[in-house]
Amino acid sequence: MVAALSLRGLTKSYSASEQPALAPLDLDVESGQRVALVGHNGSGKTTLLRMTAGLLEPSDGEVHVSGHSGGSTAARAALSYLADNPTFYDDLSLREHLEYVARLHGVSDWSARAQALVDQIGLTDRLDDLPNTFSRGLRQKAAITLGFIRPFKLLLVDEPFVGLDAAGKAALLEMFDDVSKRGATLVVATHELSFVQRVDRLIALAEGQIRYDGAPGDTDVNTLVFHT
Amino acid sequence: MSALPTEAEESAAPPAPPASTGMAALRQMRAIRKRHRLGEIEWFDAAYRVYLVGLGGGIALVWLSDAVGDDPLTIAQAANVAKHGPAVLGLFAVAALALGLRSGSQGGPLALEAADVAYVMLAPVDRRRALLKPAFQRIRSAGFAGMALAAIAGQLAGRRLPGTSTAWFFGGALFGLAVALLWAGGALVAHVVRMPLVIATLVGIGLIGWQAIAVRGGISGPGDKVGSLGLWGWRQHAVDLVGLAVGLALVGLGVWWLARTSLDALARRSSLVAQLRFAVTMQDLRTVVLLRRQLSYERTRRRPWIRLAHVGRSHAVWRRGWHSILRLPAGRLIRMVAFAVGAGACQVAAYRGTTPAILGTMALTFVLGLEVLEPLSQEVDQPDRTDSFPVERGELMVRHLVAPAIALVPFAAIGAATAATIEIVHSHDSGGAVAVAAILALPTVLTGAAGAAVNIVRDAPDPAAGSQQQTYIPPEMAGFTTVLKTLIPLIISVVGAASVIIVRNTVERDGSSSAVGAAVRGSVAALLVAAGVALWVRYRDRMRLKFRSFLDEGRTYTQQQRSS
Repeated sequence: MVAALSLRGLTKSYSASEQPALAPLDLDVESGQRVALVGHNGSGKTTLLRMTAGLLEPSDGEVHVSGHSGGSTAARAALSYLADNPTFYDDLSLREHLEYVARLHGVSDWSARAQALVDQIGLTDRLDDLPNTFSRGLRQKAAITLGFIRPFKLLLVDEPFVGLDAAGKAALLEMFDDVSKRGATLVVATHELSFVQRVDRLIALAEGQIRYDGAPGDTDVNTLVFHT
Repeated sequence: MSALPTEAEESAAPPAPPASTGMAALRQMRAIRKRHRLGEIEWFDAAYRVYLVGLGGGIALVWLSDAVGDDPLTIAQAANVAKHGPAVLGLFAVAALALGLRSGSQGGPLALEAADVAYVMLAPVDRRRALLKPAFQRIRSAGFAGMALAAIAGQLAGRRLPGTSTAWFFGGALFGLAVALLWAGGALVAHVVRMPLVIATLVGIGLIGWQAIAVRGGISGPGDKVGSLGLWGWRQHAVDLVGLAVGLALVGLGVWWLARTSLDALARRSSLVAQLRFAVTMQDLRTVVLLRRQLSYERTRRRPWIRLAHVGRSHAVWRRGWHSILRLPAGRLIRMVAFAVGAGACQVAAYRGTTPAILGTMALTFVLGLEVLEPLSQEVDQPDRTDSFPVERGELMVRHLVAPAIALVPFAAIGAATAATIEIVHSHDSGGAVAVAAILALPTVLTGAAGAAVNIVRDAPDPAAGSQQQTYIPPEMAGFTTVLKTLIPLIISVVGAASVIIVRNTVERDGSSSAVGAAVRGSVAALLVAAGVALWVRYRDRMRLKFRSFLDEGRTYTQQQRSS
């Protein structure tokens, strides 16, 4: 069976004199797995996710998404990436953003799905507002709806819980559960224990290297999340 | 209803939708956004801007036209233009190509919105087709600017050279188009082949050096054919079209490989370019320099060149200044040396009669000042932190001037050495040139940096801004005030450079023996201006508060008089 995500010798160095942001890294994530990526600030989580999404060029190594070469059209169709610092168009409302992203991905019946998404995340009243004017938490919620409006086989999410209120966190956890139920793969970089305790696999990064890779039950999650 | 796609939808979802689906959405949304933008334009404001640009352009054209004159060249002069013109104009072409290569190696020339990178570039659409429009817009704007400038220059040249004005206009436009295509094509190709910056720089230096040798005669330069296009208003050689073809081929190659555009570079440039445009609109020169550095991936050194020994608490600002200066990256130091050399050369040109060259010195010493005054800039950019220190802001800021002033000494020496060397080679006068250069160099550089200091400090918060009685500027004066605020730092910077004019005029009047005395007088004047700037930095807040208090007292007195 083809892995949902396969990384081979993935490396990122910003300069020859400095320690690499990501040491040569091999990783396979099976289809349908829920993976939490943990590690202290600067451990390489965001670098890993950005390279997987195709937003950052690796210094070396290969990325394959559902068997397709990273960055290829098929890989982009299969992968949805939610960045830690979402960006929006200045002149489009949330509804227009949702329509745009959905249609770019070939989703024609976007309207009902968009309504369901904003209802679930708590943005019903803000659908016709400009997301660039939102607060940090609302921006995060808007970005989540954009990540979910399109079909995907693999969802990469970077620190999605930051800035969310309790209701937002609960809604997001529920959405992640739905993703798993439908067989899609989930890789989330986070420090949120409530999520980390619900995953199938925990990967801890430190100084660009994998320090732990296994089930969360087999280790002291607290130590890994907060002291890795 | 579930917010997520149903299982049937998921399983039915193809790996990638047909590219045409996404492209149709992209085209439609671009059209909608264009309508949004057009709807948001303040037409009166836009018309006023067009009027200002037209007025400024008209004045510049009249001035240039007057400067160029319309006396036909002699046969010998025209022959000289025919012989050297292509090589000289070719310098513009190779410089454009060199700049394009550097821009491309640093992630240029395209700049998308950050949201376009996040949503369009990561969507399963044909990236080449999605990038065609921004690429075409970039090439079009570069081509239009090149054609407009070169057509005007051609038209002016045509008044003194054989050929009709119309022919010169179109010949110039053709040359400008070729130069713009070389820039854009070079940038696109350097980007898609991931040309390293050092290679781009070396290739650029090599091309410019080769062309510079060609200007002196004896060999053909790489830009001669493009340069010859610039003389098409006079005579046309079909072979010159090779230059245009090379530019078109580079653009074609770059566009063909557009799908290889680095998303990393696009994401990085998207926000920086937006900020840069805003800074240019606001005439914020310091921010422009700062953003240019970031666009060039220029990072401060992790380890300083020299580690400072620990000294007492009273030297905190001094140490902070040196911590910053000693972390200047090698690339920036080389650029600063080039600025110093350029300033020295400009001063010699001004001394030898090309008075406008002092504007070159002004610009170079101003930017040199901005580079070295980074610690002060950082302080101004963090007003809340600055105000939390138990030191008066003016005193803190004036202390920030000391380390940069000392750091400028070697650059002043480089400028002096350059000026003295050029002058000795030209006039074989060793003693006088060295003495004058040595006397003028430091005051010139310090005054240039003083203008930069004013440019930085004027952005600091106004201590009187919280006053209930604000001084409102009428709209008619707002534009004038903005222009004045931009010009004052540059005017201060030009004072030091102008001291060489005092020396030149004195030597013309009283002979070369008076040069040293005139240089001392010019230096004293420049140093007084620099000292005045330091005093302004020190007491700016107090002066503003005093002035505001004076206005408030006046208003109170007037109200009392009225009520009584």
